[in-house]
Amino acid sequence: MIIREKICNNISVITLQGNLDASTSSILKTFKPAAAATHSLVLDISGVDFLDSSGLGAIVGIARKQRDQGGDVLLACMNNKVRKVFEITQVFKLFDIYDDVEAAIFNAEQKQSRS
Amino acid sequence: MKTLIIIRERDYTWLRTVFPDIHPLLFPICNKPFIEFLIDFSILAGSEAVRIVSDGSLIDVEEYCDNGSLWGTAISYSSIMSMDDQLAVIDKNRRFCSEEKILIISGLVFIQYDKLHDYKSLFASQPNGDLLVCNGGRLSLAGNPPELQKNSPLLSLSLIALDSLDGYYRLCMEILGFASSPYVLPGYNNEAYCHIGRNVVISKSAEIRKPVMIGNNVQILEDAIIGPGAVIGSNVIIDRKSTVTESIVLANTYIGEQLEVQNKIAAGNMLIEPEGGICITMDDPHLLTGIKKSGSVGSLLQFLVHSFAALLLITLQLIPFLILSPILTIQGKWKKSKNIYYTGTVGETLTLTTTTIERRGFISSLAAALSLDRFALLFSVLRGHLAVIGSSLELASDSNTTLHAVESWYHAGVFSYAEAEEWPVSGGDKAIVERYFAVHGNPFLDITMTIKAFFNRIHETNTP
Repeated sequence: MIIREKICNNISVITLQGNLDASTSSILKTFKPAAAATHSLVLDISGVDFLDSSGLGAIVGIARKQRDQGGDVLLACMNNKVRKVFEITQVFKLFDIYDDVEAAIFNAEQKQSRS
Repeated sequence: MKTLIIIRERDYTWLRTVFPDIHPLLFPICNKPFIEFLIDFSILAGSEAVRIVSDGSLIDVEEYCDNGSLWGTAISYSSIMSMDDQLAVIDKNRRFCSEEKILIISGLVFIQYDKLHDYKSLFASQPNGDLLVCNGGRLSLAGNPPELQKNSPLLSLSLIALDSLDGYYRLCMEILGFASSPYVLPGYNNEAYCHIGRNVVISKSAEIRKPVMIGNNVQILEDAIIGPGAVIGSNVIIDRKSTVTESIVLANTYIGEQLEVQNKIAAGNMLIEPEGGICITMDDPHLLTGIKKSGSVGSLLQFLVHSFAALLLITLQLIPFLILSPILTIQGKWKKSKNIYYTGTVGETLTLTTTTIERRGFISSLAAALSLDRFALLFSVLRGHLAVIGSSLELASDSNTTLHAVESWYHAGVFSYAEAEEWPVSGGDKAIVERYFAVHGNPFLDITMTIKAFFNRIHETNTP
């Protein structure tokens, strides 16, 4: 699992690449966004080839943490494989999901300014 | 042009309360799933891609539509949150909506269109914004502004909100009433007001009165009267002397003998009056009439005929069984298990040893094709515990007592009617065919059905 982070308009954009499963989810769980960024972050998951329950747990865990701090997690560019996992588990009801990273960043900014 | 279909859970709560297992986009309107009407319309409008967006599950819809190759269009799916408005939905699908004109169908609405009209150029000349609005939803355009023409053609479209069973019923009846339908409808249609699907058996004495629409795998028995104004879904049996007029019979329904169904929606064990929304649910999951058990003379004849058939099968299978079963046992592909099953008498159980053959390799495939896994069960027929053909074996357990296995018509068999009729062996639907034979079966018909089941199992084994 490769995790890359960039800051766009004060929003942390985390790009995940590879398999997000039991062996790699701990990397995401312990990942700390850059201090310069706000509490809202965008997860670009277009590069996630495989997602299991522990990976899903890691994403939900990050979202819970960010929401506790007054922020949010927005998901972007979900591929079909990952979307099916979200559908089956009904986790899609918990997230704002965008098909475009820029749109997600823009909305994260909006959310941040409202809070 | 692209099409965005937005459907929210709140749009279809009325439908989910009555039909919780059918996704509203797959609910049949004149035997055609609703989503197919929307896809047809989006193609007529010149769409190259369709995205279905919902705040509820789309698993069933995705399973049905897949990537849209069946319609020659690209279908994708996306999730939204229940409070998202149309702008937020477009924002969440910005990549899909960018650089294109977008046709947005929002809500559970039926678009009344005509397949002969040119909607492509019509939409190209329309400004962005709402084109049509009704209580249940809207049809609108977004995206790149069009090259406006001075004299834009008038919209030959209208919207109907699907917000009640009455509305649904009226829509079906209206579509049925078109002599030359503006929609593409399923079934064979060589004359006006009549669509008939595949594998439809109509008795000589049955009467079909137009307008009528019949789905696939339908049996209409003696003296039944269908129509005028009847929509019969797939896998339906209309029994003797029954009348179905101005009614919708949804798929997998059995209308029993001498029944009069008028201005109703029949679905499984439900009979709904569309206007008042009154729904009667039968205890019997499928039939709308009772089943009478045959008398003692009939039972004796059945036992004799079934025993004869079992003896014949034992003779045929004996040598292959003696040769193949030891080989498969050594290979570990012959697996036995002992369980308690229901038999023919209500609530009565029997311990049976059943065999499973692991179908890998030539010998095991041959053994399965010859139904050698059923060999030991044939002796239970001679003892009178099982029929040679009947209902499929149901495991007896405390949690199983509400199943049809404890109902009066149930009679477990070595082979099942579902296997003979190539009906889905698992799930509740097999009960339809089993109940049918509980009413119409006779010992001699059982011989034919046993042969059919036996040969179907050979075919099933040969099919990858």
